[in-house]
Amino acid sequence: MPGDVHMWVMVLGDLAIFGAYFIIYMIYRTMAPQEFLAAQQHLNVTVGVVNTVVLLTSSWFIARSVLAARAGDPERAVRLTYLGGAFGVAFIGIKGYEWSHAIAGGYTMPSSDFFMFYYMLTGVHVFHVALGLLILGIVVRELRNPRKRRTSMVESGATYWHMVDLLWIVIFGLLYVMR
Amino acid sequence: MTTNAGTANATRAITYAWLVLTAITIVSWWLAPGHSGGVAVPNVAITVAVVVLGFIKGRLIIRYFMEVRAAPRWLKLATDAWLAVLGVSILAVYLF
Amino acid sequence: MTDTVEVASPPTTPKAGKRDVWIVFFIAPAFYTAFGVIFFALTRTMPPPRPDITTAQMVDFFVNHETTIQIGFGLLILIIGGAGIANGIVMYHMKRMSTGSVLAYSYMGGMAVGALPGCLLVAICFLTATFRPGRDPELMAFLYDLGLLSYVGSLGCFSVAYFAFAIAILYDRNEIFPKWLAYISVWQIVTEILAVPVFVSKAGPFAWNGSIAFWMGTVIFGIWLSCVIVFLKKATELEPVDSPPLD
Repeated sequence: MPGDVHMWVMVLGDLAIFGAYFIIYMIYRTMAPQEFLAAQQHLNVTVGVVNTVVLLTSSWFIARSVLAARAGDPERAVRLTYLGGAFGVAFIGIKGYEWSHAIAGGYTMPSSDFFMFYYMLTGVHVFHVALGLLILGIVVRELRNPRKRRTSMVESGATYWHMVDLLWIVIFGLLYVMR
Repeated sequence: MTTNAGTANATRAITYAWLVLTAITIVSWWLAPGHSGGVAVPNVAITVAVVVLGFIKGRLIIRYFMEVRAAPRWLKLATDAWLAVLGVSILAVYLF
Repeated sequence: MTDTVEVASPPTTPKAGKRDVWIVFFIAPAFYTAFGVIFFALTRTMPPPRPDITTAQMVDFFVNHETTIQIGFGLLILIIGGAGIANGIVMYHMKRMSTGSVLAYSYMGGMAVGALPGCLLVAICFLTATFRPGRDPELMAFLYDLGLLSYVGSLGCFSVAYFAFAIAILYDRNEIFPKWLAYISVWQIVTEILAVPVFVSKAGPFAWNGSIAFWMGTVIFGIWLSCVIVFLKKATELEPVDSPPLD
């Protein structure tokens, strides 16, 4: 099993919780489809696509860092983790830009049900990204220390990071793309 | 410790996954309501396509990035179940 | 003559634990049971009444439930010490972790500060509202809003406590609690974040009675609390009776 079972408990539970949020979102959307669709048009899809690719790329680096750790090359694993983390930081920055743009355009939380969901779902997701950066930082610290290095730690951190990526894929589909 | 060949193969698999995921993402740009000039219209076919594509992307991330391909059977089933239940529920709520 | 071979039973960990710790431990589930009765049955704050009603309806709420609110919250004010003790027993076991005392104090600080807005304020507001039934309806509505907003919306303090708890568990080499309890605590933080919109939303999933801001948070809290109580019991059992007292 990639990573330890505790992290999988976290991942499966978090997926279940977010799954509930997504279904609740769909229920409210279906109750007012025209309003939601009209509001969705104010999202910048290009930024959404860019951010999705940014997060996918960060996951690519993290997946490769796991391979490097397994191959017994901790220095390369650290470099790849830094790169993955850098793209994670970029994601947060782009998200901040997107939010400030929306707020400046008058699309705030109370302006519509859709935007309430938008800010809450992307907000709690960004919290997960930030937590993920913290976890990646811990992974780097452990990789650097020859006495502390454990492949399972690198794998668990990666599993969490990929979960964050997976959640974004669903959020992107539900908020930005579907109609 | 994995061999160089083993790492190279695994890297190739991950990179292919990334390419497919990115391609699907870019295709989504055309499907989205946000970039169409006029007023967007609800479209069942597009939405179903989006959910199916989302399912595919999710499964790629789970199987290739999260390495569930090599995981015990209960984990494969649990993650597939999550994807299936979520996808079906979303479509069910959307359509009814 | 056949000899029956005695199969040695596997050595079981003797149920030990120190008696004074046991006494304090049992106060935790006792308190939370009373808490549940008070909030669910007596005071009608779980689930909370709706934010999107008229002033007259808010006054009616207080008039209709005057007696049970007074009994329930009056009782709460008496036994609120139980929350402190429940936090204390968690802290006791946190101090046994290899991560040391700092995180235990963070937990205590977060929970203690959170108790005022998160629990006592709604009690005082509702008791004040029911104290003089002829009060100006606008004031009653004000107490209604203040009580319920603070009850459902008090998030940050508890989030800090849960975060300290999670970090302490993850870094603990003494394995006082299982690692996945840390992750359940992270879910708690997630549900707290999702409750932020209660200050803006008057109806729908993000209102203080909403499916996301209230119900999901309550369900996760129930799961978290049950797991914590079960593992407090286990940690208390497994503590060797002769271990030195904590400083």
